[in-house]
Amino acid sequence: MLRLFIIAVLLTFAAPLLAAEFSFDDAEVEKKIWHLGGYVEARPGLNLLDRDAAQTRLRYYGRHVDDNLPDFNGKLLLEGSLEKDWAKLFLQPSLDYTATRLNSYLRLTWYEAWLQAKPDDSFRFLLGKRSLRWGKGYAWNPVAFFDRPKNPDDPELSLEGYWLATADFIQSFDGPLKTLAVTPLLLPQDHDLNRDFGNGDQINWGGKLYFLLYDTDIDLIMMGRGSRNAGYGLDFSRNLTTNFELHGELAWLVNSTRPVVTSNGQPSLTRGDSISWLLGLRYLTEQDTTWIAEYYRNGNGYYSNEMNTYFQQVERAWATWQQNGNAAQLQRLGQAQSYGRTAAMRDYLYIRVSQKEPFDILYFTPALTTIANLQDASFSVTPELLYTGITNLELRLKGTAVLGAPRSEYGEKQNDARIELRVRYFF
Amino acid sequence: MRFIAFFIIALLSALPAFALDGQQLLKQIDRNLNPESYESYRKLINIEPDGTRKEFTLYTIKKGTDKVASLFLAPASDKGRSTLRLGDNLWLNIPNVGKPVRITSLQSVVGGVFNNADILQLDYDAEYRVEKVEDKGEDYLLHLKAKNKSVAYDRVRILADKARKLPSRIECLTEAGMLIKTLYFKDIKNFGGINRPATVETDSPLYKGYKSVMLYAKLKKRSFRDEVFTLNAMTSLDSLR
Repeated sequence: MLRLFIIAVLLTFAAPLLAAEFSFDDAEVEKKIWHLGGYVEARPGLNLLDRDAAQTRLRYYGRHVDDNLPDFNGKLLLEGSLEKDWAKLFLQPSLDYTATRLNSYLRLTWYEAWLQAKPDDSFRFLLGKRSLRWGKGYAWNPVAFFDRPKNPDDPELSLEGYWLATADFIQSFDGPLKTLAVTPLLLPQDHDLNRDFGNGDQINWGGKLYFLLYDTDIDLIMMGRGSRNAGYGLDFSRNLTTNFELHGELAWLVNSTRPVVTSNGQPSLTRGDSISWLLGLRYLTEQDTTWIAEYYRNGNGYYSNEMNTYFQQVERAWATWQQNGNAAQLQRLGQAQSYGRTAAMRDYLYIRVSQKEPFDILYFTPALTTIANLQDASFSVTPELLYTGITNLELRLKGTAVLGAPRSEYGEKQNDARIELRVRYFF
Repeated sequence: MRFIAFFIIALLSALPAFALDGQQLLKQIDRNLNPESYESYRKLINIEPDGTRKEFTLYTIKKGTDKVASLFLAPASDKGRSTLRLGDNLWLNIPNVGKPVRITSLQSVVGGVFNNADILQLDYDAEYRVEKVEDKGEDYLLHLKAKNKSVAYDRVRILADKARKLPSRIECLTEAGMLIKTLYFKDIKNFGGINRPATVETDSPLYKGYKSVMLYAKLKKRSFRDEVFTLNAMTSLDSLR
């Protein structure tokens, strides 16, 4: 009798729980005209410096640094939008804090700030600051003429946009050509607006034609001559099978310039057309392993002899500074930032392997990425552990080892290795 | 004489079964599950063996036999992500990352047992050919074979209620007949005149102890322009709500 009573009581209390095991109320999906969200991020890191590397000498000469240089990075990225009928306002400010033993700073950057009008499903117009992210490549986008270059070490980071006006005209069809979209744009540039886009106080123009043709995404891209010289681009992407995607980009820059350090240590500019391209694939195996591979030919990059000359000049400037304390040449070379940028040379290979949920651990993705400079056989290796199992919390542990002989690109990078933890909470 | 009469009656009673057009039955099952063009809200719940849950909320629109798009509304870490399917082409757009990237139907953008093919499901009739229909008393058992190699599951078995022509169980198999997952359709509700299961549960021998659940809300007929189902429109799906 007692047992029956206990069962009855349990059933009475359990019934509502069982009914509520899975619930989905209409109120959960009510749309508001405004939205506020974003994330807060803490990213402590530890750098193992290569004191003999060119980039370390240029950056830290005359300052005492240890072999281990910890840093702390914090970020608050906010996203706010207001949408009513056919109009939408979107704001995305980012507050970044960086601190090392040597310095610290706090910086506010408006990544995006735009107003969009969409009077029709096939037409929209946008005015403001926007990151376009054109191109099909994962690590590099040579056809992204109107974007800031992304970091192949972390290609999914938010990018600061440019102030521009753009529109989309979209048409769908039956037949081999399924979609046609025209995207013209205007990008003004002067000493206040889009200052780093180029020189010349110009209103730059360009655009993109998109086709979904025979199940292939194709973009034809153009940048008119203005603050920068003219450029023409083509990209494509296609799933060859259900688990195999192929993509590519081709960019032709007309009469582009390249700052070069000559063998007597003087800065010089070279001019000429450059053609950059990449070919990549993404392949998913039956074991849920994703392979991404890209070959990148940077037509505007440095040749081996040019890079070698630059490293020689840094060695000489370093020796001069040690002998007589004259840092003028080190300062000059330190301003030649194009030598220190990512993918500064001509031929690169990017490979990323990620395994979805190994050992049945949901939301856990380990990955290994390598970026190799094929000209000088230097490279970086980046193992990574990502866990997103806790709602709105993302944990990423990432290490990078940089390997290369002296006077190779990666051999002369600032760090021999770096390890960082990224904790990101979305709200 | 009695034998001939019995034979004729047996033949007549068997006629409906022989006359049953499997593909037509599959079309009816598709239409009973969803209108040809509609919008809906879905909640996906992934449940781990220890009971830990993670939930995702999506807004989904579909048109015809080859166009479907979804927008993540929750959690905050996934809000704004959108997926688009045009026939065999699938894309994922992650805000901030910006450009839509091509994905495959076998991947899962939410983790767990549901993959992209389940989340961006087209009509079964669009992807599968009915090879055989078995009479199972109160149910039909439809044996489906993929029309081409681009679909997630080469073979599918649908157990459908004869009276309602709605599935109660769908088994997804490989070409070799290995079971990948089973979908269970439960809790039939009326969505503005459309009576269909409001809950779809799934488990998989490949994910022992794991379970995923899909709940439906506010499903209703709605027509859309084709331009809504394009890469350029993926960032504007929220404006359709």
